[in-house]
Amino acid sequence: MAEYAIEMRGMVKIYPGGTVALKGVDFAVREGEIHGLLGENGAGKTTLMEILYGTRSPTEGEIFVRGRRVEIRSPRDAMALGIGMVHQHFTLIPVFTALENVVLGDEPVRSAGLLDVQAARARVEELMDQTGLHVPLDEPVENLSTGERQRIEILKMLYRNADILILDEPTAVLTPLETKELFAFLKRMRGEGKTIVFITHKLREVKAITDRVTVLRKGEVVGTVDTAEVSMEELARMMVGREVLFELEKKPREPEEPKLIVEDLWVRGEGGDYAVKGVSFEVRGGEIFGIAGVEGNGQTELVEAITGLRLPDRGRVLLAGEDVTGARPHHLYARGLGHIPEDRHRRGIILEFTVAENSILGLQRLPPFMNKWGVLQESVVRDWARKVVERFEIDTPGIDAPASALSGGNQQKLIVGREIMKDPKVVVAAQPTRGLDVAATEYIRRTLLRMRDEGRAVLLVSADLDEVLMLSDRVGVMYEGELMGVVRPEEVTLEEIGMMMGGVRLEDIKSGGAKAEAESTGG
Amino acid sequence: MRLDLRRYAKPLAESALSVLIGVAVGTLLVILAGYSPVVFFKALFGGAFRSRNAFLDTLSYMVPLTLTAISFAVAARASVFNIGAEGQMYIGALVANAIGVMALPNGAHQVVAILAAFLAGGLWGWIAGILKAKRQVNEVVSTIMLNWLAFYLVNYVATYHLYDPKAPYKTEYVRETARLPELIPRTSLTLDWVLTILIAFLMFFLVWKTSLGYEIRATGINPTAAEYGGVDPSKVISISMFLSGGAGGLAGAFLVLGRFGFITTTLTNILNWGFDGIAVSLVGRNHPIGILFSALFFALLYNGALEVQVATATGGKTGVPIELVLAVMGIIVIAVAVPGLWDMVQERLLLRRKRVEVRGEAAGTVGGE
Repeated sequence: MAEYAIEMRGMVKIYPGGTVALKGVDFAVREGEIHGLLGENGAGKTTLMEILYGTRSPTEGEIFVRGRRVEIRSPRDAMALGIGMVHQHFTLIPVFTALENVVLGDEPVRSAGLLDVQAARARVEELMDQTGLHVPLDEPVENLSTGERQRIEILKMLYRNADILILDEPTAVLTPLETKELFAFLKRMRGEGKTIVFITHKLREVKAITDRVTVLRKGEVVGTVDTAEVSMEELARMMVGREVLFELEKKPREPEEPKLIVEDLWVRGEGGDYAVKGVSFEVRGGEIFGIAGVEGNGQTELVEAITGLRLPDRGRVLLAGEDVTGARPHHLYARGLGHIPEDRHRRGIILEFTVAENSILGLQRLPPFMNKWGVLQESVVRDWARKVVERFEIDTPGIDAPASALSGGNQQKLIVGREIMKDPKVVVAAQPTRGLDVAATEYIRRTLLRMRDEGRAVLLVSADLDEVLMLSDRVGVMYEGELMGVVRPEEVTLEEIGMMMGGVRLEDIKSGGAKAEAESTGG
Repeated sequence: MRLDLRRYAKPLAESALSVLIGVAVGTLLVILAGYSPVVFFKALFGGAFRSRNAFLDTLSYMVPLTLTAISFAVAARASVFNIGAEGQMYIGALVANAIGVMALPNGAHQVVAILAAFLAGGLWGWIAGILKAKRQVNEVVSTIMLNWLAFYLVNYVATYHLYDPKAPYKTEYVRETARLPELIPRTSLTLDWVLTILIAFLMFFLVWKTSLGYEIRATGINPTAAEYGGVDPSKVISISMFLSGGAGGLAGAFLVLGRFGFITTTLTNILNWGFDGIAVSLVGRNHPIGILFSALFFALLYNGALEVQVATATGGKTGVPIELVLAVMGIIVIAVAVPGLWDMVQERLLLRRKRVEVRGEAAGTVGGE
């Protein structure tokens, strides 16, 4: 058997627009290893793997699978060679059951062309037992959690006998617990001789799970190293080409009077049940108040209720001393709210609009952007857009380019820049660095700290625990719509936070009840 | 936000290619029917230029075509599929006719009639808008139903109240004081042609230069982001349907105050312009300037269609039956409308896919590498 399960030589990819995504990449994965593919956004990781999986064609380059030269023109070709890929965005059919999704496209069929449900179920159940990946097979996928959906995607690949698995940023959508389970699973797969390529930009995960790692930067290979022989700092340097600051300087600061007060807020979720159950807190000027917790515990609904996108059932929201409960977004913006929304493509930005147009989203009816006749003042808008681009170092072909031409990090900078240029008293930032590369993440975090130092009140909601603990002055942990406790990051242990994320109240932890610990599911 | 000429190059090239494809397929049909395609297409495309009057008449056809197309386009910008220009036009025609027979001084008479028709058409459109915004009633269904309501309402009022006692198959002529002046004496080209061009530019201004237009486009492309941006999507949808209906109403008013002066009780003289407007708008890519050119193209075809029948009648042989002319025109129109329609369908699918993704995943999205 050849040493390498996969070898890619001299891969070049030039996109039709002229963007060079890969500049002659050599990439080799050993049989039976977990190989990390590390790089910032835009480094070419996904492009390289999409070529391997046949969803993109290379401009130049050769691919060898187990020493044999192959042409991969479609996922079908890749699958025939035993290569399977789990994309960042899932490709499941929401109304189909888990079982139907797993077998779709490769269904066991009885003589009359009928689906052989029993055979399908038997095969998938056997697969679940072998791998330890369990999902409720008869549940429509739309009712399943993100972690379960990912398991279905993996099962789908294994069902098609993939022995080389490519996972594209698999932990981006997972809770810490689910991540742990995924890693355990990957190690088991390695034990059974499967080969795994793990695309990520998280250094900690590279260290935790991979045997070797290839670092890509701007379409070129920086190097391939044994994971055990490099430190996180070295990896970070390879990835970004400079030292990354893991610790941000946070000056001590005396908080001022409360600028955002939330009192006993009750908010219903999509299904009509309460997603937020009586949450109260206040955020002072010059303070970052963080909300941690596993995603889906009411954070989204809480933010929407505060920012005017969802009507609370009960409770009050006070912005700079004024009761703004149930006020609409434009009303709140006029009173000093800045909102960096959780999902930038859904809320924060209109991809088809130009950078200039996006730079006034939410300001389109305010002077000086609009005159009294309702006409947009183009020169004012353009000046403003230029200022946002300049001040926030947004990399764009110009202010007339559509937002879709910007990278994810620059789109987020555009949103953050717009919200901050409004000179808000209160900034609500939801998942502000999700999916961003190291440099953009650091930039956004620094900006949030600057907001705090300027005396603004910052509400930071993030599923990234490190981020919340690093930036916040105080942290509230949310679990099933309630705050389990509010703590200072320097006074709390990770175990305590984990227990709160798992549903144990702070006072129960402090009293050290054995019952509480038994209930804890860990974080 | 700037007018970028390069952006128009692709749609123009696509449209030109589509015309060629349409003509090619049409040629086959004409040959199969035993006529000369050369004579046929010369008449179809050249008919409008056979005389000064024919050409001016072609220009005047642009009026209802442009306005009903704008009616479709304004709603389409907010991602609302307004099939109701037809009914909105009936209502506008009726109101203009009813006011036109009253006694009012010249000048004020036209203004009052036009404004009233705009308001009435607007209200008719607004009904569908508010139903969609507040009750999630599909606008395609509601506007089609409103078309029929409008048809029978106008039919009823025209038959029993507005009819001309001397010729009861039609309504009373509007008074001279309400007629729009002829741009060139004794032709069908009246002042409404100029007004229509102005309205097209007004739509451009409204959609691309005002805050309302910004909000309409934002709502059409990404309603959740618009909501985040302080836009009330239900308000924007009902406003855009009001404006849309208003444009339809104007189409009806201009037909009555300009070209005809009356409507027949069964509406035969104003029928179908509203549906043609959908095609005009699609060919013009829902853009007011594109719509002007597209309306001119359609008007040329309509006028040419009459000429084809005359031109192909040689010797003892009768001319091409009108059905064949309409069939060939249909082929050309479909060919030309496909790229625009394709864009719209793609956008709709994209929007749906985005929504599904959003509903399915809380995950952040990262641009492809």
